[in-house]
Amino acid sequence: MIAKWIGKRVIMGTIVLIIVSFLSFFIMHAAPGNPAAAYYGGNAQTLSTAEKERIEKAFGLDEPVLYQYGTWLREALQGNLGYSAKEGRPVAAILQERLPTTLQLVVLTLLIVAIASTWLGLLAGMKEGSIVDRVLSMFSIASSAIPPFWLGILFIMVFSVQLGWFPTSGMNDVRGEGGLVDRLYHIVLPLTVLVISHVGIFARFLQDSVKAENRSYYVQVAFANGVPEREIRTMVFRNAVIPYINYIGMTIPSFFGGSIVVETLFGWSGLGQLLVKSVMVKDFPVLMGAILIIGVVVVICLFMIDVLMICLNPRLRRGGIV
Amino acid sequence: MRRGTQRKMPIIWFVLLALIFGLTILSSILAPFEPNAMDMNHIYEAPNGTHLLGTDQLGRDVLSRLLVGGKVTLFIAVFSVVLSSIIGIIYGGLSGYFGGTIDAVMMRILEALLTIPTLVIVLALQAIMQGSVWRMAIIMGITGWFVTARIVRSEFIRLKELEFVQMATMFRTPLWKILFSHLLRNSFPAIFVVTIFNFAGAIFTEVSLSFLGIGVPPAIPSWGTMLYTAQNDLLVGAWWMGLFPGMIIFVTLLCVQAIGGTFKQGGGRSHV
Repeated sequence: MIAKWIGKRVIMGTIVLIIVSFLSFFIMHAAPGNPAAAYYGGNAQTLSTAEKERIEKAFGLDEPVLYQYGTWLREALQGNLGYSAKEGRPVAAILQERLPTTLQLVVLTLLIVAIASTWLGLLAGMKEGSIVDRVLSMFSIASSAIPPFWLGILFIMVFSVQLGWFPTSGMNDVRGEGGLVDRLYHIVLPLTVLVISHVGIFARFLQDSVKAENRSYYVQVAFANGVPEREIRTMVFRNAVIPYINYIGMTIPSFFGGSIVVETLFGWSGLGQLLVKSVMVKDFPVLMGAILIIGVVVVICLFMIDVLMICLNPRLRRGGIV
Repeated sequence: MRRGTQRKMPIIWFVLLALIFGLTILSSILAPFEPNAMDMNHIYEAPNGTHLLGTDQLGRDVLSRLLVGGKVTLFIAVFSVVLSSIIGIIYGGLSGYFGGTIDAVMMRILEALLTIPTLVIVLALQAIMQGSVWRMAIIMGITGWFVTARIVRSEFIRLKELEFVQMATMFRTPLWKILFSHLLRNSFPAIFVVTIFNFAGAIFTEVSLSFLGIGVPPAIPSWGTMLYTAQNDLLVGAWWMGLFPGMIIFVTLLCVQAIGGTFKQGGGRSHV
């Protein structure tokens, strides 16, 4: 049963990736202007027709679109994503530099958000109507209304410019040798911004589902029968946490979306910053590669969440609800 | 008693939101200065009697730009939400009504689209057709319908099985009447809630992209483009340029989120 279920998810993931790759390929195609000319930027006017044709032949641009897509896909599967139109380096190499830094940021954010929101959500949800409950409800609305970049600007204003505690941007001290401590020192502000802009919504979600569980019949019966509160709490938590994890899984794409803005603001040279830069200079091979790699990462994350869900939810193991 | 307090809350938010909308709609009358008029003698002026919220790096009045900018931001948000709701209702409605294989295929495609961060899709499309306010609104409209579609689908599936719809089918009520006056009309509460949240999301996206410099062209005042230079302005000490646009975005989003949250609770079912 599990094997079948996992197989199904893998097929789903593959379909997703095909759609993502299709999308990223056709962005290249829909782009205005001649792709051959795009490689030459401002000097494109000086190219003669014969030269343009030669370039088109060299890049296989005279073939039908679907054939080009096939070729691109075959090459992409072998790890060749083409060359950056601006830097001239292989796209795969650029992505290899950028991916780990984005993952550092996103994974750390996810981890902190998961822990903090579980703690806050349980604290607030268990005591309905308490001060914690109400404050958290308000905080979650407020935090989802603050644009992360504006929060970032405020943080820079207060903690970097006024107090001088943290650097305004970058990933390492330019003069230093880098190292873990330095990296952690630089990650504080972007991480805080990302965590604050996400934690409220997740805590709220868990809070609501804990409250809903608390009101349910089995909890009341357990209370009436004098089951110790600790045990009831464990039960409630186990049941409330399943939709919560599902919710985290569903919102994983938004973490990568959020990191685009925050990375750009704090000069964190990850995928998000790369995306923005490649859109600005119209570096389409890099843009395609970055979209594809984000798609792959998201699909892998979703798969991991799914596996976690099977472990936690016995109903899924029996293949009941998929 | 708790219901009472919940019901009272949104009125404040409604009034605030209406105020913001009203001010931006009347911006051409209310704005004390021409939003793009430069005054090189008065650049980077802190808030004072003439310029209530100060001036920016070209001596333009921040308050006037804020009011006129709201028009651009809110126009994009409203237009894109209307467009995305229409697409979402059609897609979700078809998928939910027909069911079976069509539904399965359509939902797989939708799930795939939901996997890609919306901001990434919008970014990518901006790379191709960057340019004007209209294009921005259209791009956001055609990328914002995924959640709406999913909710419309689940509502249609739920309603389709209900007795009154079954009865209507039995009485040979015309198909369009079942679709519109039974299924669609009863889905409206759910659609309304998701539309409110989409509206907040649309403001978010416009502001974020314009802040990055790839949304609305920087020459057009919008809440996002006003923040485009805010990072540098802070370093020269012009805090008012970053603070005020951010504040108004925050308040607007707060109103929208609070209103949406109340309706979501009132509806009883939790969506999204």
